Amino acid sequence: MAKRDRVAAIGVGYSTTGRRTGLNRRQLVAQAAKAAMADCGISPDQIDGVVLHAGVAGAEPPGLDWIDALDVAQMLGITPITFYNSDQGGPAYFHAAISAIAAIQSGQAHTVLTVRVINQRLSSAEERDSVQGPMRISGDSQFTMPFGSVTPIQTIAALPAQRHMERYGTTEEQFGAHVIAQRANAVLNDEAIMRDPLTMDDYLNSRYVSKPVRLLDCDYPVDSASAVIYTTEERSRDFAKKPVFVESAAASATDILPAGFEKLHDLNMNSPYHAAKTLWSRTDLKPSDVDCAQLYDGFTIIVFQWLEALGFCGEGEAGSFVESGATRLDGSLPVNTDGGACNVGRRHGANFCIESIRQLRGNESGARQVKDAEVAVWANATGPFSGAVLMTAD
Amino acid sequence: MNIASINIPESATAAQYPPIPEPNMLTEFFWEGIANHQLLILRCGSCGTYIHYPRPICPTCLSMDDLAPAQVSGRGTIYSHTTTVQPFHPYYVDKVPYNLIVVALEEDENIRITSNLIDFPNDDIRIGMPVEVTFQEVAPGLTLPLFKLA
Repeated sequence: MAKRDRVAAIGVGYSTTGRRTGLNRRQLVAQAAKAAMADCGISPDQIDGVVLHAGVAGAEPPGLDWIDALDVAQMLGITPITFYNSDQGGPAYFHAAISAIAAIQSGQAHTVLTVRVINQRLSSAEERDSVQGPMRISGDSQFTMPFGSVTPIQTIAALPAQRHMERYGTTEEQFGAHVIAQRANAVLNDEAIMRDPLTMDDYLNSRYVSKPVRLLDCDYPVDSASAVIYTTEERSRDFAKKPVFVESAAASATDILPAGFEKLHDLNMNSPYHAAKTLWSRTDLKPSDVDCAQLYDGFTIIVFQWLEALGFCGEGEAGSFVESGATRLDGSLPVNTDGGACNVGRRHGANFCIESIRQLRGNESGARQVKDAEVAVWANATGPFSGAVLMTAD
Repeated sequence: MNIASINIPESATAAQYPPIPEPNMLTEFFWEGIANHQLLILRCGSCGTYIHYPRPICPTCLSMDDLAPAQVSGRGTIYSHTTTVQPFHPYYVDKVPYNLIVVALEEDENIRITSNLIDFPNDDIRIGMPVEVTFQEVAPGLTLPLFKLA
């Protein structure tokens, strides 16, 4: 693929984030967007595109209100605009990012505000207790739910993790090593929610949800909105913060969509492999050039899948790679330096982008700053749909 | 469109029934087959591809007119498995821990069937174990294809 003009990320922002904040989508989006605009000192008339990825991962609590990208633009006085997208499908925040990047590369917009808003889902007990009478299931789920396949923890996490263990010899302690390492990063992050250090005993005593997946392997559902503003390289140095550049970006969808993780060709080598292959084909940089990796941790196994897919270790070797300490803050490839979504809360991918940008700005990550970070990769989702972005410092 | 639905007593509760399949024009044959204790998978008559979940078109040769249910052996191997400890639906409150298995079918290992393994300890389930289908009425009016060790 021919190299195109580079796209830059110039502003980042988060809303108030926490459990049951009482804030609805509109409020969370407004907070995050305003924070990102303030971060880079941009005014509404300098933005000509808005992308919103909304929606709750799981059962939705009442009262959240519904908004789309046009609402966001109107609310923030961003008018007129030439590009907008409110698509809810695909790999979470990455889906919003790739839409903005593509719009800028193609010239449909020069500066795009992206927002991922996600509210805390109903708890599994609340969801279970809200079931009134026998449940009828249509669509593909009629082939899975009658057998008790009722949560992504089983299909996205437990089935692939079990296969990773039996096929490659991965151990529960190796999953635990990752959970402990990224919690240690969260201890250094004022914005993280889970900040008590963890031991291996803590991990192994954490209850199973669906074996081998434990509660501590699951990201932490919260109310949150996250915003990132992208623009052209030409405009990127006109704002308050040092720009960070998109070196390459790749989306992938493979096999069956959107359900059916259990039917993927291979439970552990799916769209992340395809996305990573495309990502590296669009740059002269190599995995060894990467200073830190921010890898989607909806569940621990997904981090392992990305470590292998991106070529940081060989197929099936993520367990020993993590156990060696390589992914700790003082290791050769610090991973999830903000603490990951298990600890900063479920921002559905956006935190990995924002942490990459902050690390590459070089002076915003405090005690968790990776020294001289010039190249970062972030990745989102897994299985049938996913994507990754390689970013570089100016 | 007259589609055979799975009939259960009016007094049924969520605690008595797992989520119940709601067949449509593409999936009706599968659940009729299960009621008759046959495992039927849609197959393309032009190129032989098995198609599951049911679709109106063959992904290999794009045939649309030559797709028909074919009875399969019901034998396969365990592709992966998990034992679920937390109940996410009222039916499972008194059934945890329960196993969930994914079976790769003998006819085509890329055809995967989600089910449960019966009469076997959850902790001893391993990938690759040979299994075969068995049909059980798990609640009045609802028969499901479950698996036992072959």
